[in-house]
Amino acid sequence: MNMPGLGAWFDYTVNGIVIGNIYAMLAVGLALIYGVANLVNFAHGSVYVVGAYVGWAAITYLGTPLPVTILCVVVVCGLVGVGIERLGLRPLHGSSRIAPLLATIGIALVLDQVVQLIFSPDPRAVPMQVPEWRIPIGGGTIGPLDLLIGGIGLASAAVLYGFLRFTKLGWAVRATAQDSDAAQQMGVDINKVNMAVFAIASALSGISGLLVGMYYNQINPAMSFEATLKGIVALIIGGLGNVPGAIGGSLILGLTESYGIALFGTSYRNLFAFVLLIAMLLWRPNGLFSGRSSLPPEPMTGTFIARSRPFRIPPWAVAGLIVAAALLPLLNNPYVLQIGVNSLLYGMLALSLTLVAGTVGQISLGHAALLAIGGYTSGLLAMDAGWPVAVTIPIAGIVTAGLGTLLVFPAFRLTGHYVSIATLGIGEIVSLVILNWSGLTHGAIGLGGIPPLEVFGYDLGSVEGTYWLCLVILVLLALLQLRLLSSHLGRSWRAIRDDSVAARSYGVSGNRYKALAFGFGGFGAGISGAITAHSYSYINHETFNATLSVLALTMVILGGLGNVMGAVLGATLLIALPEAFRGLAEYRILIYGLVLLLLIRFRPQGLMGTV
Amino acid sequence: MSLRRRSILTGTAGALAAAAIARPSFAADSVMVGVSGPLTGPNAQYGAQWKDAFELALEEVNPSAAHKVQYQFEDSQADPRQTVAIAQKFVNDSRIIMELGDFSSTASMAASPIYQRAKLVQFGFTNSHPDFTKGGDYMWSNSISQAEEQPSLADYAITDLGRRRLGVIHLNTDWGVTSKNLFVSAVQSKGATVTLAEGFLPNERDFRSTLVRIRDSNPDGIVIIAYYADAATIIRQIRTLGLTQTIIAVSSVYSPKLIELGGDAVNGVHTLSNFFPGEPRAEVQRFVTAFQAKYAREPDNFNATAYDTMVLVSKLVNTYGTTRAAIREGLPQVESPSVIYGTIKFDPATRRVSGAQYKKLVVKDGAFAMFQGGTPA
Amino acid sequence: MAAMLEVRGLVKRFGGVTAVNDASLDLREGELLSIIGPNGAGKTTLFNLISGLEPPDAGSVRFMDQDVTGTEPERLARLGMARTFQHGRVFANLSVLDNVLVGAHTRLRAVRPAIPLLGPLLELGLAAIRPAAVRAEEEALREDAKRILTLFGDRLLPRIDNPAFSLSYANRRRVEIARALALHPKLLLLDEPTAGMNQTETVEMQEVVHDLKRSGLTILLIEHKLEMVMRLSDRVIVMDNGSRIAEGLPQEVRSDPAVIEAYLGHRETGAAAPAREDVS
Repeated sequence: MNMPGLGAWFDYTVNGIVIGNIYAMLAVGLALIYGVANLVNFAHGSVYVVGAYVGWAAITYLGTPLPVTILCVVVVCGLVGVGIERLGLRPLHGSSRIAPLLATIGIALVLDQVVQLIFSPDPRAVPMQVPEWRIPIGGGTIGPLDLLIGGIGLASAAVLYGFLRFTKLGWAVRATAQDSDAAQQMGVDINKVNMAVFAIASALSGISGLLVGMYYNQINPAMSFEATLKGIVALIIGGLGNVPGAIGGSLILGLTESYGIALFGTSYRNLFAFVLLIAMLLWRPNGLFSGRSSLPPEPMTGTFIARSRPFRIPPWAVAGLIVAAALLPLLNNPYVLQIGVNSLLYGMLALSLTLVAGTVGQISLGHAALLAIGGYTSGLLAMDAGWPVAVTIPIAGIVTAGLGTLLVFPAFRLTGHYVSIATLGIGEIVSLVILNWSGLTHGAIGLGGIPPLEVFGYDLGSVEGTYWLCLVILVLLALLQLRLLSSHLGRSWRAIRDDSVAARSYGVSGNRYKALAFGFGGFGAGISGAITAHSYSYINHETFNATLSVLALTMVILGGLGNVMGAVLGATLLIALPEAFRGLAEYRILIYGLVLLLLIRFRPQGLMGTV
Repeated sequence: MSLRRRSILTGTAGALAAAAIARPSFAADSVMVGVSGPLTGPNAQYGAQWKDAFELALEEVNPSAAHKVQYQFEDSQADPRQTVAIAQKFVNDSRIIMELGDFSSTASMAASPIYQRAKLVQFGFTNSHPDFTKGGDYMWSNSISQAEEQPSLADYAITDLGRRRLGVIHLNTDWGVTSKNLFVSAVQSKGATVTLAEGFLPNERDFRSTLVRIRDSNPDGIVIIAYYADAATIIRQIRTLGLTQTIIAVSSVYSPKLIELGGDAVNGVHTLSNFFPGEPRAEVQRFVTAFQAKYAREPDNFNATAYDTMVLVSKLVNTYGTTRAAIREGLPQVESPSVIYGTIKFDPATRRVSGAQYKKLVVKDGAFAMFQGGTPA
Repeated sequence: MAAMLEVRGLVKRFGGVTAVNDASLDLREGELLSIIGPNGAGKTTLFNLISGLEPPDAGSVRFMDQDVTGTEPERLARLGMARTFQHGRVFANLSVLDNVLVGAHTRLRAVRPAIPLLGPLLELGLAAIRPAAVRAEEEALREDAKRILTLFGDRLLPRIDNPAFSLSYANRRRVEIARALALHPKLLLLDEPTAGMNQTETVEMQEVVHDLKRSGLTILLIEHKLEMVMRLSDRVIVMDNGSRIAEGLPQEVRSDPAVIEAYLGHRETGAAAPAREDVS
């Protein structure tokens, strides 16, 4: 590490502010929505993409000048925002607080996919509509777009401030943000307020998509996730729901990234962003710009546990299903069997997640990281240490249980949305550490030539062999999980989920029992990751990515949170159905998104019921 | 992608109908190859580019061939979990005698054990990961070998352009890191220096601070190892920051899109390509003319590689036979005309093609042109 | 004999508001002490400070001869303190029986070996394997839980397997008290056990509390319904605006001018509606 000179530090600072500027436009909208609707809007980045493409289409097909382009973007994105509020928020009033968050994930999947279907995934250039002069500053230059983006960021914060302070609707918004019940009693139309806020925030997000697209002269549908992620990190730094704080948080994020690059190199950039996120969640969950350092009283109590009476399958039927599954290889159709293997591997992941997210109520958005830890542990032990696969797989389970629990342990004191955001961040950190710790993990090259599945000399590398192995492990894990759920652990876990304060008052320690759940869940997920690694023979840091975490969560919700049979069913359905409809391949992600949305709206207890 | 630019109104309905009838009818004199590639997800544009090139190639080779090639394209989203299922589908479909793809090495290599076990050739025509063909003797690839390209690139930068101190910015993936390592050793063997190598993550858009870091390592040339979309963004920011060093980029930036996305900033950028539409060679001109006639745009590297691949498939089945075993036996011997290589001929030991011809290019006035020598821009 | 619970000079501020100001009290074994006062007087905050849900800004709490100021609620539960909550915090998706069993959590011995570090792992293993000792312990706790539920006659017994969310408000309060009793507490903190109950139900609850007191249980009670307070209490503390304004025998307190003033000054006194109390 060599220290940059003073002039370079100035440049790094300017660069940090330039990129922070861009994050700020996203974070301001997110903060506004959070402030009023108490919702971390995961669809925000998708609206940003919509804005970019609407602007692109207006310029390209209609030849609009900048003000008209912006007007088009504002109108379309404002309407999209209204739509999000109508579909994702309003119908979910009265259900748990995490439900709208999950709904916005579903909306994001749908929006991204619709944009991609209409405009193709090809990157496109957005014609520059502002003059192209540049001001030299330090070693570099900034242009009118930098100023415009910064100006719009600040102006929108100022306009919002004025709107919130001095208009009737703004007063209603503030009242709603303070206490929506009280505001409602005072005659505030909450729905109107929410709708206005979503429209404003979405229009803002759309404008930033357009301007950022112009700035980089490039837009593509895949840029939404990164935008959402960075916006949320900036939001947490600045303090949820704090609009000026969001701008400050964005600048701090930009500077952190820039200085991180200066000191350690580019590949550490996001690592710094996410470490900052976790540090903020742990030490200043209200953000840097608020007085208090404790969580607001009961921030998001309640979990996504719909009250239901679970559908109980009689033991003979379960036994019948196991026998039927065991007989599947007799069909002699390796393709079906491979789908079976995939379902079983996902089933293990879903079992793990349904325990953590369903039974204990910790909605994890980073569960795929556990697969990665398991896969790398087993792969590295088998390749670099030369241990037999029969030994490395169980060890991978144990290591994942331990390491996974340790990583998430600091987040145990968080609740609700904070847990989801923290686990998302931890998942990204795991992936980035794998990428950067090349001495251990082979870095970006990944692990190639992982030895095939083999247990005590029996070759299980064939699809039949893998299927048998996975089936046996899944059945054992499921039975074990059912047994634990019927013990005092089951009721302790569920007590923590239903009311952690009351549980603690009766001696049920949140830390201890969350750790046990993550430990047991980590074991199953680690095994799943390890088997995956050996059957693929090659994995890298992207094999187990954030999309997979969202897919696993969809499976678990589909089956019914906390429901063991439901998790297996959810995994099987979401793996098998898309295979059955391969012809509709282009619409697959769209369908996932719609399934998630419809479930949250109409059947939050899932197919089998929550437990 | 003009073919993929559907109108909003008819898009959905049309695609649904097309999907329902997409499965081709299978004639007796036809052979079927399976394609596993991304049609949705973040890499979907590459699958679309393949399709365009495949269609063109088959229109040209099939009419006069005894065995007509058809392909079954399964969307994998370049996701390893889906490539393994597709692999089982293909290996157990006795009509399929060869597999093409997948796009990313991660996705391809996950499925390799299945193809190897079933003795079905997996032809990973974009898989440059050095371990891909090590997966077994059924893994073959005509993708451009970085072991060949990187020394050529170093040669271009050092010998032709006279650069001595090179700063490298590379995509931090298996491909980018492999390329970077090969490039660094090539530079060192020529007695020049790599001042700094910085890896960036996919989806990153902001390179300003990375470039300050590179600037402060004091290079006289900046080397970009990335795909065209990222490269365009990087080059724009290099110029925005006021850096004036010579820019040299790997062949994967060669695409008309680089110019579209990079604008004026990409003028003066040097790159290599083993495919250049302006090259007078007959295979190239025939391909470019036909592609332009069909799609009304210039083809790029990905189109050319996919086109070469389908031509190769036709050559294989019509020369060596229509069974899986015949394909495997034919590959070490086959010589197939190629846009990229002139002639495709595999090294049976590495199961890769060598001898790609590199054209030195430079962007001039918003278009790629052959590099004529002289001082760098 | 030293008091079972000694509270000295507790202070809690929220922002600029002092919710509890210099609160002190002593509670001897077997005693029933009531805390009364208008809404917003700081009663529930005082409970939260005593039961470890919120750390005090100043002052101390001693329970069973140990300093437990600002300690975590888990430890207080182990020491034998059980509480109910003002608005009824049952575990909504757990059955009535499971709710009560959670109350008995600190009594689990066989399945929760007290070994540092390895304890949690052994707990997981024992929960899965369930040797005879663990099964016997669980069975005994179940029997005990059912016995406790009989305190409420037919109110809960027929609904023992129903999820708590399906219960009436009054029944949820009963489940809370049953859960607290399952801890076999030395000290029971009851926060408005009759809130939201009708006359018959209130009388029933009063009998239950009376029986508990007679059985020798030490009880700290927050209650608005003065008749009940007068009948059950050994002593009464009156709070207003975070401070103790009176203390004494029920009859003394009833005639204290400061108390009358405090009650007359607040018209909402005795309102049983679940208003947002004490958190401002």
